[in-house]
Amino acid sequence: MVTLVQIELAREAELPVALDPSRPNPLIRLRGVVKVYKTAAGDFQALKGIDLDVYPGEFLGIIGKSGAGKTTLINMLTGVDRPTRGEVWINGVPIHRLDENRLAHWRGRNVGIIYQSFYLMPTLNLLANVILPMDLCGLYRPGRSEQRALQLLRMVELEQHAHKLPSAISGGQQQRVAIARALANDPQFIAADEPTGRLDSGTAEVIFRIFAQLVEQGKTIVMVTHDQALARRMTRTLRLVDGCIVDGS
Amino acid sequence: MSEVVKVFKNAGGEFTALNRVTACFYAGEFVSVVGKSGSGKSTLVNMLTGIDHPTSGTVRVSDIDIHRLSENDMSVWRGNNLGIVFQFFQLLPTLTLLENVMLPMYLIGKYAPAEREERALRLLERVGLRGMEDKLPAAVSGGQQQSAAIARALANDPPIIIADEPTGNLDSRAAEEVFDLFTNLIDAGKTVLVVTHDISLAKRTSRTLLLSDGELINPWVAHALPRLAHSEMLWLTHHVQPVSYPAGALLPIDDENSEWLWLVTAGQIDLVEATTTGGGRLIASLPGGSFLAGREIQPGWLAHAGADRPLELLVVAGADFTHWCDQHPAVWTGLKQSRRLHPFSGGQ
Repeated sequence: MVTLVQIELAREAELPVALDPSRPNPLIRLRGVVKVYKTAAGDFQALKGIDLDVYPGEFLGIIGKSGAGKTTLINMLTGVDRPTRGEVWINGVPIHRLDENRLAHWRGRNVGIIYQSFYLMPTLNLLANVILPMDLCGLYRPGRSEQRALQLLRMVELEQHAHKLPSAISGGQQQRVAIARALANDPQFIAADEPTGRLDSGTAEVIFRIFAQLVEQGKTIVMVTHDQALARRMTRTLRLVDGCIVDGS
Repeated sequence: MSEVVKVFKNAGGEFTALNRVTACFYAGEFVSVVGKSGSGKSTLVNMLTGIDHPTSGTVRVSDIDIHRLSENDMSVWRGNNLGIVFQFFQLLPTLTLLENVMLPMYLIGKYAPAEREERALRLLERVGLRGMEDKLPAAVSGGQQQSAAIARALANDPPIIIADEPTGNLDSRAAEEVFDLFTNLIDAGKTVLVVTHDISLAKRTSRTLLLSDGELINPWVAHALPRLAHSEMLWLTHHVQPVSYPAGALLPIDDENSEWLWLVTAGQIDLVEATTTGGGRLIASLPGGSFLAGREIQPGWLAHAGADRPLELLVVAGADFTHWCDQHPAVWTGLKQSRRLHPFSGGQ
């Protein structure tokens, strides 16, 4: 649903808001996104003017060599990093304009993020790791958040391990917990940065199938990957070279 | 830790990561655990933090047998008593540094909600991150992330800080700064245990435990013979026997089997050269932490236990030792190099 605020913000940014119901609004819209990092050796332009639309229900792969800007691009979508120039709209919200507080608030509710290195809290059991984002955002009552966390662990087939610490399960299982955690606040879109990069091919396949199921359930997923075979199974891929989209925008 | 054994089972069979490790850590100590990759350092730490469980043996922390606690009690115990610092920082990437530091307070509930932010800000200031509190981990350097992780470890004011390779991912300057933070914590009365493979950083701690193949090397062996290979130190660890002599006793250095090694653990050895007039010239006094090898003895030398107190030695000798020395000529090179570090001294 397009809200008045979104129309207002869109007008301000001179972006078209599609009110034509036959044509969906993009969930993600990037316009002219440039990211410059200052390094000891001078400025380094990691992204050089990215324009991108991602529509609801898409499973978009981002491929490219190491250093091409893949992670920088995904960090723009999640609000983990900010563009030097340009605009990032997610579901009508111009996240490039949000201050840190509002951005953190927005991120907690609207995006699930999955990393190559899982980032589970090593001292919390799996259940507590999945409950954590719900408690932090306060979207679910305490009893309800535990119930929901168990449900999510069941979805990734790890309910029986709920009370184990991350170190007691395999890497592939840890990544499944990270997926359950990313889904905790039921975000519309999931960003995954090389989620299978540290896993063997059999385990990577299990993880990929979970992502494919989530897309079937209506989630929008943007995934950075090195794996060409996985990329071919997504609805669309784009290739980054030196901070530019060269293929498939 | 008493007789702690940890065996991992995998497809290739069983692997003993820790073999009967017994160690004590005292309040206020700054201890390092050093060893090569795969020597069992992280497994040892995981036994102390309760992140993993021993196959046998016990771990008692302030009289609590921690591996008898239920998972829930363990996590409460851990939250109140331990601050854990990891090699890869393990900050949550989507939370600001401030939120990361507040997280353990929220999990344990020791501090009232209204106090938490101010306390977290103070801790960040203490580790030199004032003004960075609203940044995400990705926006700061590795050294700063580790500093924030140390602030987080201090969130619930635990008495014990355990750090597993905290400088493993940092350049040497950032590593120094992180170590300075640990030194400050010792000054503030904390007990700190650091696992590291960086010997120069380990030297800044008050005591070092050396692990090799899942076993602790006898600290007297490691101290007296630092130039031996870890595997050689471990062999000696397995073969030393304690022997005592009363103060002033004459020591059997002219043993027919000249291949022996003594490590002094208490008292001292006075090494004397007999003179033609029937007296003796003191060649060296070997205090606790020194070694003496049969091969070093020259004709006409005598050895006594120091006159003021009994002598305690760790002794390795016998056919096994002779055979081992024959098999490992490098031992003598290591011994000679160790001697240069602990030269005979005290003589006139």
